[in-house]
Amino acid sequence: MNKVIGICDLHNDPHLGELTKNRPLGAVTFLGRYGLIDFTLSNFSNSHIDKVYVLVRKGIVALRKHIGSGSIWTNNTKLGYVELLINEKGLTNKAFNTDINNIKSGLDIDELDFDQAVIAPGYMLSSMDFRPLVSKHITSGAAITCIYKHVDNADKDYFQCDKYKLDSDNHIVKSSKNHGRTDEADISLDTFIISKKALLKLIKDSSKVSELYSIKDMVNHYIEDGSYDVRGIEFNGYVVPILTLEGYVSHSLNLLNYHIRNQLFFEDWPIYTTTHNTPPALYGKDADVQNSFIANGAIVKGKVYNSIISRDVVIEKGSDVRNSIIFTKTLIGKDTKLDHVLIDKNVKVLNVKKMVGSEEDIIVISQGATI
Amino acid sequence: MASKNKVVAMILAGGKGTRLESLTKKTAKPAVSFAAKYRIIDFPLSNCANSGINTVGVLTQYESTFLDSYIGNGEKWGLNGVHCLMSTLAPRQTEEGANWYKGTADAITQNIDFLDGADPEYVLILSGDHIYKTNYLDMIKLHITSEADVTISVIEVDPSEASRFGIMVCDKDDNIIQFQEKPKNPISNLASMGVYIFSWKVLRKYLKDDSKDPNSEHDFGKNIIPKMLASKKKLKAYRFKGYWKDVGTLASLHEANMDIALDKMELNLYDEDSSNRIYTEDVYSVPQYVGKKGSIKRSIANQGAIILGHVDSSVISTGVTIEPDAKVSRCVVMENAIVKRGAKVHNAIIAPNSVVLEDSEINLGNDEVVLIDNGRK
Repeated sequence: MNKVIGICDLHNDPHLGELTKNRPLGAVTFLGRYGLIDFTLSNFSNSHIDKVYVLVRKGIVALRKHIGSGSIWTNNTKLGYVELLINEKGLTNKAFNTDINNIKSGLDIDELDFDQAVIAPGYMLSSMDFRPLVSKHITSGAAITCIYKHVDNADKDYFQCDKYKLDSDNHIVKSSKNHGRTDEADISLDTFIISKKALLKLIKDSSKVSELYSIKDMVNHYIEDGSYDVRGIEFNGYVVPILTLEGYVSHSLNLLNYHIRNQLFFEDWPIYTTTHNTPPALYGKDADVQNSFIANGAIVKGKVYNSIISRDVVIEKGSDVRNSIIFTKTLIGKDTKLDHVLIDKNVKVLNVKKMVGSEEDIIVISQGATI
Repeated sequence: MASKNKVVAMILAGGKGTRLESLTKKTAKPAVSFAAKYRIIDFPLSNCANSGINTVGVLTQYESTFLDSYIGNGEKWGLNGVHCLMSTLAPRQTEEGANWYKGTADAITQNIDFLDGADPEYVLILSGDHIYKTNYLDMIKLHITSEADVTISVIEVDPSEASRFGIMVCDKDDNIIQFQEKPKNPISNLASMGVYIFSWKVLRKYLKDDSKDPNSEHDFGKNIIPKMLASKKKLKAYRFKGYWKDVGTLASLHEANMDIALDKMELNLYDEDSSNRIYTEDVYSVPQYVGKKGSIKRSIANQGAIILGHVDSSVISTGVTIEPDAKVSRCVVMENAIVKRGAKVHNAIIAPNSVVLEDSEINLGNDEVVLIDNGRK
């Protein structure tokens, strides 16, 4: 049986403006309850990949706080682990802070006991079973397999992702940026399955090609010069990358739709997250809630429509919150009207009584502000 | 103050709880769901954790399998640390033979070895089926400073209810001078909460003596306390302030749930001090969702609940679905129950995994609490 390790690669995380100013994307609250990285870590866990390394570019403190010992994602807590790695040298020279240099500084790949590695980013919303993908990869004999999705809205949700061109044997013959010129495309999910031998070669080659290259850059390099067997396997399930602030908001609110939610959440595929010992949500006598997610610890005394209310949020009487996302421990004071607003955590909305944004122009309030 | 093993807590969790009817048919009373997210025993266990009591024995007997696995190594309450010892103690076969626990005191007597191993100065005896939040250190302090042999936590109850409890009569310094177990004519309204702190050496002797008494029922309230009182030991009353409820009947279980749903706040589950919370198992469910035509008010609801119908003055647990056009009011809906489309239910406890059929009307306009329990295979 093949031994598989998981590598959650956070080096290529996109920037989500205000949301990722002070925290890594993986630790950003999602649906009022999760951290974004929970999806990838749970996919590893549910795929029975019990040895997981997280390659952290920055913000290790926030990630450490969220992930803790990692035991909630591990099957056997003696044999399994979720280990956070940083490239200390990369901290002084950002250009060299790549995933490959991170691996080189913290992991002895040669010594590690594994046959295949699954490398996945921390910003894909998906319930992805890696097991059938790994089996296909092994049967194909490919050195490196890139997971992709065939989409018909490449001009929308997958802008700036890599897209692949494949031949009839599923070899990837070309990789390029998706600029949304066509609707249909085979979009890279930045998820790779790679044998130990190939990973060792990739790391070794990178020092000859470019020490600034990432794993993804090296894979694209192999595709371009055709020197190595790189193939694609299609993933058919729900998967969306969180690439922008607008995407974060729209994909979050889209999940209020039952049919979309049922493509991401499955009964036999739990998404594990850290517990915060919060009591159930409490609704007052004037609470009026429709089409919304309400997390535990929230106290709702006003109106909440089409919104996501996180843990320990208080919505005071007379408030009217619509099409908005409210992060952890924020207080919405009495008689406040909010529409198309994203409020980060620990905010107190006391004196501003009305904020109205729009779908194209959402208003963002920074962490910790009193307004 | 409580150093490593100065205080050991023993939680009595073996009772059958017959007055909860079929809710306890396959589940021990302390493991019954409470307040949408918790189980009753989470309260004494969290109180122990928040009081810095690290060694806890849970005495189980009736339907102990689920309760034992729920308690596990105590991790849910943080009681799995390096200085902690968490153990469930079910009756077992010994050299002397096999015995069920014959009474509350006998349950402790049969675990003298466990206590001797922990070597405490004080033993805190708790009940596994009471809802309250407290830090036991205040009571322990009183016990130590007053040099009592036993300190009993008491609460003032309505005189009309006093005959349901063990009743204490105290002198002006709160020394207990008389004790009546469930008296017909109570002479005081100070009820025992079934929470005792004993000095271990004293208790150990009384347990040993009591175990040899053929006329004893081996019960703390009926035997041990009266014997200590008779032999002029020092019994101190600790006046508990705050919310406390024995949820031994369907009506009291329903009422305690309503107290939280209707935000009476005396229990304060929403304490901002995160070291004063009630801990429990966290299930990995999706967030709670309220649908486009749903409504919920004067209620609490846990993650994983799906509310597509109308909820008023109710408690909605994990995995519950309230279908469109269904109406629940003053209901305690336990985990994974389904209230089908168009059904109307009032004043009910809906047991785990139960189904309320489409368009059915249950208990409407009735003040008495009913139990709906059809979820077992």
